Amino acid sequence: MRLFGVLVVLAGWVITVGGLLTTSSTMARAIIACVGIGVSIYGILGVLNKYYLARAVWKK
Amino acid sequence: MKSLKWRVRLLLAVMGVGLGVCFAGTAKQAFALTADDGITGVSGPNTADIAAKGDPGAEMTGTVNDVTVADSKKGLTLADVANQAGQNKIAINFVWTLIAGFLVMFMQAGFALVETGLIRAKNANHTMMMNFMVYGLGLFAYYVCGFAIQMGGCAPIANLGGAYPLNSEFAVNLFGKPWALFGQKGFFLHGVTYDVGVMVLFLFQMVFMDTTTTIVTGSCAERWKYSAFCVSTIGLGALIYPLFGNWAWGGGWLSQLGANFGLGHGYCDFAGSGVVHAVGGITALAVAMQLGPRIGKFNKDGSPNAIPGHDIVLVLLGCFILAFGWFGFNPGSTLGASGNGCLRIGSIAVNTMLAGCTGSFAALLYMWMRYGKPDASMAGNGLLAGLVAITAPSGFVNTLGASIIGWIAGILVCLSVEFFDRIPKVDDPVGAISVHGINGLWGVLAVGLFADGRSNYGGSWNGVAGGVRGLFYGDAGQLVAQLVGISTLIGVIFALSFLWNWLVDTFVGQRCSAKSELAGLDIPEMGALCYPDFQLKASDYGVPTNNVSSGVLSKKD
Repeated sequence: MRLFGVLVVLAGWVITVGGLLTTSSTMARAIIACVGIGVSIYGILGVLNKYYLARAVWKK
Repeated sequence: MKSLKWRVRLLLAVMGVGLGVCFAGTAKQAFALTADDGITGVSGPNTADIAAKGDPGAEMTGTVNDVTVADSKKGLTLADVANQAGQNKIAINFVWTLIAGFLVMFMQAGFALVETGLIRAKNANHTMMMNFMVYGLGLFAYYVCGFAIQMGGCAPIANLGGAYPLNSEFAVNLFGKPWALFGQKGFFLHGVTYDVGVMVLFLFQMVFMDTTTTIVTGSCAERWKYSAFCVSTIGLGALIYPLFGNWAWGGGWLSQLGANFGLGHGYCDFAGSGVVHAVGGITALAVAMQLGPRIGKFNKDGSPNAIPGHDIVLVLLGCFILAFGWFGFNPGSTLGASGNGCLRIGSIAVNTMLAGCTGSFAALLYMWMRYGKPDASMAGNGLLAGLVAITAPSGFVNTLGASIIGWIAGILVCLSVEFFDRIPKVDDPVGAISVHGINGLWGVLAVGLFADGRSNYGGSWNGVAGGVRGLFYGDAGQLVAQLVGISTLIGVIFALSFLWNWLVDTFVGQRCSAKSELAGLDIPEMGALCYPDFQLKASDYGVPTNNVSSGVLSKKD
């Protein structure tokens, strides 16, 4: 699960850089970069943090 | 008659050409004379007079007598004067950069006080010692390889005399573009990098790296095993920080987004909202998630409890020290005070001051309106948030932009602290993730919005001519470059930090035992209480406190 989370976080960056290579439109690059940032944040809070919350010390 | 006219014209033309040749020769001779031969008619005060009378009015000290003469037989030449002028410029820049570096180094004391004040007394020695040792651990890691990875291919740096030995950058060609990834010169500062300009650059960059490592200790306070802290810090100083530092400041691929992809001036981060603060804050988030919250921070239903710090005096004194040190952080990032637009240091210093001020003001107002009281620790964090946010834009924005950036940072830090407490439930005892991580990212974004295009550091930035302009001043491409930087921080730096600290957790173990945590980490981890008079607190939790009357744990314990 943790490894999957890290891959999702990295995938966000790959999306952003992919936007640079696939289009020269400034607006399109900005939108793709925002999508990439969103994916990375999901990886951090939605996958990795969820994993740790499920095992949190205060739930025991 | 006609023939005579032509003869006169011909004679005049020949005389004209002759005069021209003579004039050119004379001019050349005059230049050669002043460059190579002695300058006459310039003399300084008689040294015997100074010896006899002294110089109380400062009229005879610092004269032509003090210009170094290369050849005493020739006397003073124009070349001597020109060399002295060049050395004076670089000397001014060296002294400026070194003093700024000394100020940034003193910020360690500010961080130590802020973090220690915001945690409980039973962990004060542990927290203080983490802040103390990031200096030694981080410096060593950076000296061994961090500096080379970050700045090993950054030359030339005109303000520091070139720093020419740092000229080897590793790059790969992908999709028809060069992607510079890390530097290769300067390991152990040996060989050709034993150079005066390189040394100045090393000192200045080292204290920046140290700031990053000290951010993590705040978020992980009160539950981080000391041995894990040591290993984690070395990895951050040796590899993770230097990598992003190279991409942004060492000539790496982020800084070349303008030249390679037409995105403004590439990723711009004047003094390190992203490089220093966001890297520290994001690493803090990665480690804090792995550590989990302190015992007692959350109730069984997930609602958070406030765990107040033990000394607000330390916190606010630390904030003042940090605000003082920030005058080295931002204006010092010009790496000089003479030439190449460096006189903008005045504007940068005022921007720094304004953003810190509006940040603390905004945080104070927010807390006052929301909770009915002006919260001291959040006012302090508001000040720091404003300073963090203005760090990247400080060299590119005007005073109005700086005020707005600071104001937003002050509100943002309050919202962010509440968010991390309530939604992801990440325990951050000092608010470092919000202050440095979130506001570091906000600072990076702010460059892409508020940069006004009026700065001109030698005519170009990151190899792109002209001043840096943000979206509000007509360059949307700059905003995209900043977004790519943010994505790299969240995507790559978080992943690297997470993986490194996962390894540390696997082989060293990140978290202290519950017993140690409840007792306070001073005795179990450090063997000595910070405040020996408080030892009865430890005994309340069944931790052995015999032989600790002096505040020092015996071997038996």
